[in-house]
Amino acid sequence: MIRHLLKLIWNKKKAHSLLLVEIWASFLVLFGLTSLLVYNISKYQEPIGFTYENVWAVSLRSNRDTTDLAEKIQRVLQRIKTYPEVESATQMSSNFPFSQSSMSNGVDYKKKHVMADFYATDENFAQTLNMPVTEGRWYRSADSVGKYTPIVINQKAKEAFFENELPLGKIIGDRFKVMGVVNTFKAKGEFMANTPAIFELLDPKSSWHDLFLIRVRPGTDALFEAKLVKDITLMVDEWSVEVDHLTDSRKNQHNLTLVPVIIFLTVSGFLLINVALGLFGVLNLSIAKRRGEIGLRRALGATGNGISEQFIGEIWVLATFALLIGLLFAAQFPLMNVFDIQAGVYLTAIAISIVVIYGIVTLCALFPSRLAARIQPAVALHEE
Amino acid sequence: MLTNYIKIAWKVLLRHPFYTFITLFGISLTLTVLMVLTSFLDHLFGSHYPETKRDRSLYIMQMRTQDSTRTGSSSGPMSFKFLTEYAKSLKTAERVTICTFVNSSNAYVGSQKIKLNTKYTDADFWEVAEFEFLEGKPYNEQNIANSDQVVVITDDFKKHYFGKTEASVIGKDVEIENLHYRVIGVVKGSPVTRPFTYADVYYPYTTPKSNYQRTGMRGGYVAILLAKKKSDLKAVQDEFQNNIRRIPLPGVEDGYKFAYVEVKSEPYVENFTGTLLNGNKGIKTIFFGVIAFILFMLMGLPAINLVNVNVSRIMERASEIGIRKAFGAPVRTLMWQFIIENIFITFIGGGIALILTLVIIQLINSSGMIAYADLTINVNVFLVSLLVCLVFGLLSGVLPALRMSKLKIAEALKS
Amino acid sequence: MINLTNIEKVYRTSSIETLALNNINLNIRKGEFVSIMGPSGCGKSTLLNIMGLLDEPSKGTVELDGQRVSTYRDKELARLRNEKIGFIFQSFHLINDLSVVDNVEIPLLYRSTNGKPRQTYAKEALEKVGLSNRIKHFPKQLSGGQKQRVAIARAIVGQPEIILADEPTGNLDSAMGNEIMNILQTLNNEGATIIMVTHDENMAKRTHRLIRLFDGTQVQ
Ligand SMILES: Nc1ncnc2c1ncn2[C@@H]1O[C@H](COP(=O)(O)OP(=O)(O)OP(=O)(O)O)[C@@H](O)[C@H]1O
Ligand SMILES: [Mg+2]
Repeated sequence: MIRHLLKLIWNKKKAHSLLLVEIWASFLVLFGLTSLLVYNISKYQEPIGFTYENVWAVSLRSNRDTTDLAEKIQRVLQRIKTYPEVESATQMSSNFPFSQSSMSNGVDYKKKHVMADFYATDENFAQTLNMPVTEGRWYRSADSVGKYTPIVINQKAKEAFFENELPLGKIIGDRFKVMGVVNTFKAKGEFMANTPAIFELLDPKSSWHDLFLIRVRPGTDALFEAKLVKDITLMVDEWSVEVDHLTDSRKNQHNLTLVPVIIFLTVSGFLLINVALGLFGVLNLSIAKRRGEIGLRRALGATGNGISEQFIGEIWVLATFALLIGLLFAAQFPLMNVFDIQAGVYLTAIAISIVVIYGIVTLCALFPSRLAARIQPAVALHEE
Repeated sequence: MLTNYIKIAWKVLLRHPFYTFITLFGISLTLTVLMVLTSFLDHLFGSHYPETKRDRSLYIMQMRTQDSTRTGSSSGPMSFKFLTEYAKSLKTAERVTICTFVNSSNAYVGSQKIKLNTKYTDADFWEVAEFEFLEGKPYNEQNIANSDQVVVITDDFKKHYFGKTEASVIGKDVEIENLHYRVIGVVKGSPVTRPFTYADVYYPYTTPKSNYQRTGMRGGYVAILLAKKKSDLKAVQDEFQNNIRRIPLPGVEDGYKFAYVEVKSEPYVENFTGTLLNGNKGIKTIFFGVIAFILFMLMGLPAINLVNVNVSRIMERASEIGIRKAFGAPVRTLMWQFIIENIFITFIGGGIALILTLVIIQLINSSGMIAYADLTINVNVFLVSLLVCLVFGLLSGVLPALRMSKLKIAEALKS
Repeated sequence: MINLTNIEKVYRTSSIETLALNNINLNIRKGEFVSIMGPSGCGKSTLLNIMGLLDEPSKGTVELDGQRVSTYRDKELARLRNEKIGFIFQSFHLINDLSVVDNVEIPLLYRSTNGKPRQTYAKEALEKVGLSNRIKHFPKQLSGGQKQRVAIARAIVGQPEIILADEPTGNLDSAMGNEIMNILQTLNNEGATIIMVTHDENMAKRTHRLIRLFDGTQVQ
């Protein structure tokens, strides 16, 4: 039967070429869309590794003031810790969770060169963000003896550097000593790829790290926030103070990912509906045109179901051709590792797109071919 | 005659409502997407409130310094002093404004927090950007010389800070970060998509915390150069580059030794795409490749669809054409019918697209997704895309019909 | 073999009602060669359609081998049409997109004969109707008579017990017509039951029995 279908399609190749192109193009659009979705969903499924509710980021800017900056920052931190509303506070570099800024550096260990995100934090960081340490412990200020800076790495960094080795106590990049390992840390939110991250103990004498993360008691409101800002500016006048709630920053980060995805999704969604309607129309017409053939096949012994199977079979063969051509294109993405995305994402996307394309063409062919199956052979033949 | 054709076309369209629907859906979808997209691009790059003189403006957004081996680089906005020396002094420019890029801050009213964006500007800012003053007036050179603690605020900020009030707030006090300012003017706000002019609160650069006295080359300031006319842009650009070449090299900034300095003054679009892609060739080609592919698919898929539906509808009439010809019907009348039908349906599709676009743009403008969004329909784009649809319609409808009319009658009858 | 009792067929459209067949009683025995004659529009094709299980009568019963066909389901009807009955249509009904052999092998396709024997059977059938030199042609490239012969080849390829022929010689000259008649007669001698519609008295004379229809009623 398949040979028969192939012959039918081959003999009508001119009329089918447009359909072929259309299915091929839809497959590519769908492939783009599903790649984007699969990529983001797979990222979303990995936990961000910390809690952000009731955490505020307080950033300071010294403006014109240039004297004793580090000491002033420490004084402000100590003051913040005295408020009963503040459960925990930590000082860190400006690339705080969900912020727009990021910092990454290459680190070498045993001929391996790994790009990792760097976060300079003090000893209270894990506690403030409720980050569980899976191996070893979070560093303390007291760890900073000798020439090595204590660091904590995430699971991804551990895999990148050590594979099966035990990481604790190892020295990487000639100056970092691993004190502990945390699970995941996705600072830019759920849609960030899980990449290697390194936390290093910050130097309290440096004036660079002018940002605090504070965990406040649930229910703390803007009145306290206003008081906090006022108190800080009274301590260090001329300085600017800004408070961001991590929940807000997270929303902003999410929008950066979600808005383009949603736009792409709606546009491609409409495109595919458009294609499905067109396909349906074309199939409807071509089946209507072949009523005589249907009547004849019935007269020669085809069952009603046989007829509708034939039409669905035809469109499947056609779709298979289109998909094969489409695969030639799509396969380049996992093969050439475009955009540095894992091959698995592309392969899943290809699989989903193939299923959806078969689904769409089946749906489009189903109704007209069901109609065709119900045609009385005598009537169809008479009309010819 | 024409009305007669249109009547026939209308009847034909109604006779096959499903195919009419498919065709209309395709045409209006494509046109709508295209128009919303271009309207958004126009919103980003066109000359709109308050940057109405954008077409004769040059933007200076960042300075890029590199060490002698060109391995590392550092870039960012510049200091007020640097821009005063190298940009403000330009003789070919009509006016030059120096202001900070967007900074954020908080203000508190009772138990409510207002997140706000602030900008420190000079007095020329109000000349280069044409804000509409709802109340009061901008600060002038005198205010700046006196270091007056005054601010210009937007209507949106006024609503949040002072509540919904019709009464003037000129002369009232605003407290931000423990400092008190007197409101001197209220303007209609600028959308966030225009970062050179967008803010909630505008301060004169001589108010505290503006860091304008900073001595190095880098800082928090950017500049807009306004040329006298569009044709002067090149001259202004050249003069500015001449100034930049006078920067002593090599130099040191914040402990960073640099051997090369690059500061560009560019029209807005180039400035925007330049920072977006940051000169990286590989990313640039991939980026434009992906955009081109998406656009191609966006246009191509509905086009294929349209052609496909049209061709199969014409093919359906093949034997009809054959029989009519066999009995001597002039093919020209048949052709005219197809042509009118296609033009007709394209225009209906265009009309629907126009309405849809208006609705979507209205939704975007009023959704608050982008505050002060002012998307408008670009008539040129609309007409061009309508023409494209027409070409496709005619290609797909009339070409097969033409081919069939050239077909020998016997052949047509046989199919 | 085929038993028709009190057959009536009414075609209804929104405005008109045509009585195509009226009170037909007919018994066709196995191995018979029957011809049907009558003026144009008298219901010959309609009768053939009903006997070939392509259409249902409005009234009356059709029995095939003693079994009432109205009790069969679609699948069984399809099998009967495929294996028991061979059709030759008045207007050929060839599939334009398939070549001559591919057209002829269709009945075998629906009884899942393998590809190789299918082609051989189809070629044999085409040889019988004298068309073995045209097997790769497409229907559009054939003359009316050639098409008619392809239609006959297709009807006999499955070696059905009953052959229903609607004016099989209508498009042919008398020499060719005679040849077709010879083929049918050979088939009949080999045991096939044949029912043939014709306008040609000479052809009708060569059959066992003649049925005359007039305005939907059997007159003889
Ligand atoms: N599907 C149908 N709908 C309505 N009327 C029909 C239909 N099929 C046939 N008829 C009518 O039934 C009558 C018998 O038609 P039929 O095709 O059986 O004639 P026929 O004897 O084969 O004629 P001819 O010799 O011209 O082929 C005709 O009057 C025709 O108009
Ligand atoms: Mg007839």
